[in-house]
Amino acid sequence: MFEQIQFNSVTEFFQMGKYTFHVWSVYGLFSIFILVNLFLPRVQRRQFIREQRNKALRDAQLAKNTAGQQERESAKGESS
Amino acid sequence: MWQWFFRLGSPKWFYEMSGKWLPWLLVLMTVLMSVGIFWALLFVPQDYQQGDTIRIMYVHVPVASISLACFPLMAVAGVITLVWKMKLADMVAKCAAPIGAWFTAVALATGAIWGQPIWGTWWAWDARLTSMLIQFFLLIGVIALRSAIESPDAAAKACALLAIVGAINVPIIKYSVEWWNTLHQPASDFSMDENSAFGPEIWVPLVIMIFAVYLFFVISLILSTRNEILQRERRSQWVMDIVANEKV
Amino acid sequence: MKPHRRKKLTIIAFIATGLGIAIGLSLYALSNAIDLFFTPSQIAAGEVNNGQRIRIGGMVKEGSVEKSQDSLHVEFIATDYSHDLRVRYDGILPDLFREGQGVVAEGMVANGVFEASRVLAKHDENYMSVEVKAALDAAERERSLPVMATEGGPSGT
Repeated sequence: MFEQIQFNSVTEFFQMGKYTFHVWSVYGLFSIFILVNLFLPRVQRRQFIREQRNKALRDAQLAKNTAGQQERESAKGESS
Repeated sequence: MWQWFFRLGSPKWFYEMSGKWLPWLLVLMTVLMSVGIFWALLFVPQDYQQGDTIRIMYVHVPVASISLACFPLMAVAGVITLVWKMKLADMVAKCAAPIGAWFTAVALATGAIWGQPIWGTWWAWDARLTSMLIQFFLLIGVIALRSAIESPDAAAKACALLAIVGAINVPIIKYSVEWWNTLHQPASDFSMDENSAFGPEIWVPLVIMIFAVYLFFVISLILSTRNEILQRERRSQWVMDIVANEKV
Repeated sequence: MKPHRRKKLTIIAFIATGLGIAIGLSLYALSNAIDLFFTPSQIAAGEVNNGQRIRIGGMVKEGSVEKSQDSLHVEFIATDYSHDLRVRYDGILPDLFREGQGVVAEGMVANGVFEASRVLAKHDENYMSVEVKAALDAAERERSLPVMATEGGPSGT
């Protein structure tokens, strides 16, 4: 059952009888399908983490700016 | 009794557990997939009629049969969403739709490539092929519905209903080859006898590929559900910790 | 389970069963239209008008294929083992077109003969290696030989 390779040579293997295009395009499509579905989530995850970090940075900046503005405003109020 | 059920529904719990399972699942899938593909390409004997195109079966059949799991899964998740309002169920349902659409599209494409030399046509409007095409459009419909409705709660409910309705198509696909006359052949009978049609030398690698592709489905679903969890729980402390600590 | 949840679940169950029944009934009503092809028996029963474009399906009868020497013209008999239908076709046959195999042809009935414009092969659900097929055929021949001997027996004596 699992003992005999069905092809006599590498060329014969790549030829797949007269169905070279059919067999290999199916296996090619299948490989692309698997690779894309395994790697796309990873890319999306990285993108998410980058976005969240940038957002956290922006938020921190914004908080600092508003805090600075409030300080200046309160200082102005005292001087006048 | 319901405790485990609701714990399972906690996104944080699912995220942590799936993180532990993922490496093992990936290893198991890689092993099964490599053995299956090598076996199918090198050791499976040429069919007495269709020669080497029999090797297409080892991709087409697993992908097609697992694509049928998508709607029942989404329907069960839909019922849980509608009745118990469990957040995780809706996330799984949302992530299953595009993956199911991929599986259905690949099943249709590989079937067309196989049918072209064997049947003499890459497409026929028979019950099996048409009901499979309907499943593809239903899945596109679920994805479109989700993005068309702005309120996440309303979108979850609408998609849950569509998934429950769409699941009716699954038995139609499965039994189409028996209920009507079609160009597509009926399912093969697995036989233990070495010297018979569809004996072990043909089906053992097929079973390996079915397990491998099933694992692949589960892994892709887990991966994209984890992303969905992070997205929806981004304001909770544990996600913020992940964002702060992960190397990108 | 809380009462309002049970109520929701019942509603969903009712909707699903109702839809299932409705779809089941309409599929049953449409089943002639969903069938891909007519069988030779249906043609013999006169279910199809002359000149109507249809598909027929059946088995290629053993020994019935006649190929023309100098053109692509081919004639064969499609059978469902109760009725036969003669098919005429000009064109390239698919790889799996063989005697004893399923076939689907597109075209129209004219004077009791099916004029096909396209012929597709219908594959069966059996997959096996050349060796297994040969072994099965040999076993088949062995089984049928003693039968032939007993049939021939009485006339010989």
